[in-house]
Amino acid sequence: MAKLPKLLIIDDDAHLRESLAEVLELDGFECHQAGAAKEGIAAASKIDPDAVIMDIQLPDSSGFQICQELRKRSKITILIMMTGRFLSSEEKKQGFELGADEYITKPFDLAELSARIKQLLSRNAAKGQ
Amino acid sequence: MASTRNRGKLAYKILFWFLLISLAPMIFVGWHLVGITQQSLRKETLAMQESLAVGFSDTTYKYVTTFRNVLTETAGLEDFVSMNPVKQQQYLNRILQIHFAVLELSVLNEKGVEALRIGRFLGNAPEMRDFRAEEVYTGAMGPRGQFIGRLERFQGLYPTVTISVPIMDQRVQPAKAVGVIVARVSLNGLSTMLAMEFPASGKSQAAVMTRDGFLIAHSDPREIYRPDARMPPEVEKVLTSQDNVKGGGEIGLEGGKRLLGAFSLIDKLDWIVYVQQPVEAAYQTAADMKAQIFRVLIWVVLFTVLLSLAVAGHITQPIRILKEAADRLGKGQFEDLPEVVTTNDEIGDLAQTFLGMSESLKEKTGELIHAKQELEKFTKFLEKRVDSRTRELKAAQDELIKKERLAAIGQMASVVGHEIRNPLAVINNSIYFIKTKLGTGGEPDAKITKHIKIIESEIQQANGIINEILTYSRQRELQLEKVRINDWLEELLSVYPFPAHIQVEKHFDPANPFVEIDKTEMQQAVRNLIGNGIEVMPAPKGGKVTIRSIIPEAGWVRVDIADAGSGIPQDVLDKIFAPFFTTKARGTGLGLAVVRKVVDHHKGKVDVESTVGVGTTFKLYIPTTA
Repeated sequence: MAKLPKLLIIDDDAHLRESLAEVLELDGFECHQAGAAKEGIAAASKIDPDAVIMDIQLPDSSGFQICQELRKRSKITILIMMTGRFLSSEEKKQGFELGADEYITKPFDLAELSARIKQLLSRNAAKGQ
Repeated sequence: MASTRNRGKLAYKILFWFLLISLAPMIFVGWHLVGITQQSLRKETLAMQESLAVGFSDTTYKYVTTFRNVLTETAGLEDFVSMNPVKQQQYLNRILQIHFAVLELSVLNEKGVEALRIGRFLGNAPEMRDFRAEEVYTGAMGPRGQFIGRLERFQGLYPTVTISVPIMDQRVQPAKAVGVIVARVSLNGLSTMLAMEFPASGKSQAAVMTRDGFLIAHSDPREIYRPDARMPPEVEKVLTSQDNVKGGGEIGLEGGKRLLGAFSLIDKLDWIVYVQQPVEAAYQTAADMKAQIFRVLIWVVLFTVLLSLAVAGHITQPIRILKEAADRLGKGQFEDLPEVVTTNDEIGDLAQTFLGMSESLKEKTGELIHAKQELEKFTKFLEKRVDSRTRELKAAQDELIKKERLAAIGQMASVVGHEIRNPLAVINNSIYFIKTKLGTGGEPDAKITKHIKIIESEIQQANGIINEILTYSRQRELQLEKVRINDWLEELLSVYPFPAHIQVEKHFDPANPFVEIDKTEMQQAVRNLIGNGIEVMPAPKGGKVTIRSIIPEAGWVRVDIADAGSGIPQDVLDKIFAPFFTTKARGTGLGLAVVRKVVDHHKGKVDVESTVGVGTTFKLYIPTTA
């Protein structure tokens, strides 16, 4: 059996993480969760996820601030930022520079999200070969 | 009154001086003339009266001497010298017959006793009187050889004089007086002559009197035939005190009456002839002259008054016009001034000066008025500036308040949106999970599927509301891009999901100007308007959305989005751009508020025209750029 892509979801809202994780698990992802930035970084180090979906605003840190931290790990290929508000172009630009791949605004279309992750993963995989 | 006011005081001053100048010499000369005339008339009159008196004294003397001569002649007759009484009587009777004035005749013997006596009113045997001691006898017998005197009033009324001459016997040498012939003569003839000479109708009177006041004759018969006939005491006093042979002067009577009298002495008789007339009569000519001068004076006054009025009017007319003009000037009337006459004299000069002054005044006043107007204009301008600045400040303040309020709303909306989006996301995830799970276990219950769809739809709706609020309240910098308006609209419309029941019509201005817009925001605005248009034309009927670009004036492009919906009533039309105003069952009321905010943000404006039952057109004005 092929190894399932690993996702790390970092959000302080337990319901959100859980519901998202369980939906994406239905779509064939192996989901891990973290409730804060520190926890997320630790989990990433441990489980080495293929993609990270994280909220921009975390209780202990800004999502952008940990982008770089997570990027140091080469295995993490995809960083998707979740936001509940509008982001200015400046913010978006900054985020992209720090390593974000995609922004999604809550609430999001899960089918679309799943398809997008898969697309990005397969593109990276193709690049890696 | 009107003419008085018209002439003015100057006219009366001129009149006064004219009168003074013309009348004073005349009155002076007239006065003197009358004085001189009176003087000379007085002299003349006196001289005339004197000569009359002299003349009449002569006449009187002759009158008396006539009778004496008759007596002398008779006494010289031989028959008379003989002293034959019979003869003598014959002669005497003849004398009585011839001379009516002779009243009585007597012959005195040498002793002075009456020898013969006849008279008109004597009886047959009259009394024989003795004259020895009397002047009648002694006078005649004396060296003078005659006697004229013994003035008496016959019957107490008629003045008589007694004349006696001696009867001289020439036959002896020297001649010897043998008797005296005596006659008593009436003097009425003198009065008659005087009355003829000085008739009662005239003013003059004449009289003859003795030195002791016996009135011998008078031109007025009423004065003379009286027992006590005398001249008025004042006259008598003057006349009896004269030493001169003749003379004259004024005599004042009791009662103020004045007479001009002249006298002449009949020295041989020692009688006085007196001629008088009232001073008024004597001075009649002078009085006439006075009257004449007075009449002339009146004419001169009249003439002078008229002349002065005319002259004064002529002189003061231009001055009055000047005054009137000055009055009007004083009231600030510069137009329609009375025609000022510019004559060739000082008044003309004054008029010229006045005209110059009024011109200058007009100019200065004009300048003043102009300056005042300028000042008013400037003040108004300043007021306007202040008003407009105040408005701007107010607007800025309002804007600031609005911005602050929007910022507050935005902040709150952001927080609320974020906080609601999380649960929404969770619900969304969960329902997705449920849906997926149900899908894997065969065909799910139709009602469950339906309700899942409802939940999904409501999530969409809630999310839409949050989006609108966040969009409206978002404070973001414009990200301007220069685009051609038509191209941009075309791009926007090409991706807009128009429903099938809506037709789209486009009319783009061929000029296709450049505009600088924030594409995201402006797109939001246009999309909101199109969305509204679609909403008011629901299926199945649908309708047409018309999008236009027009250049209404240089520097602007207008984008019209028109629908053919039911239109918006006027009372609603005023409020549609207000935030949170809505007529929809579900809506935030922020769609058009966003439109306005975006257009304002672009320094443009939005307008709306709507006709109920026809449709609504929104017009976005956007400034163009080169």
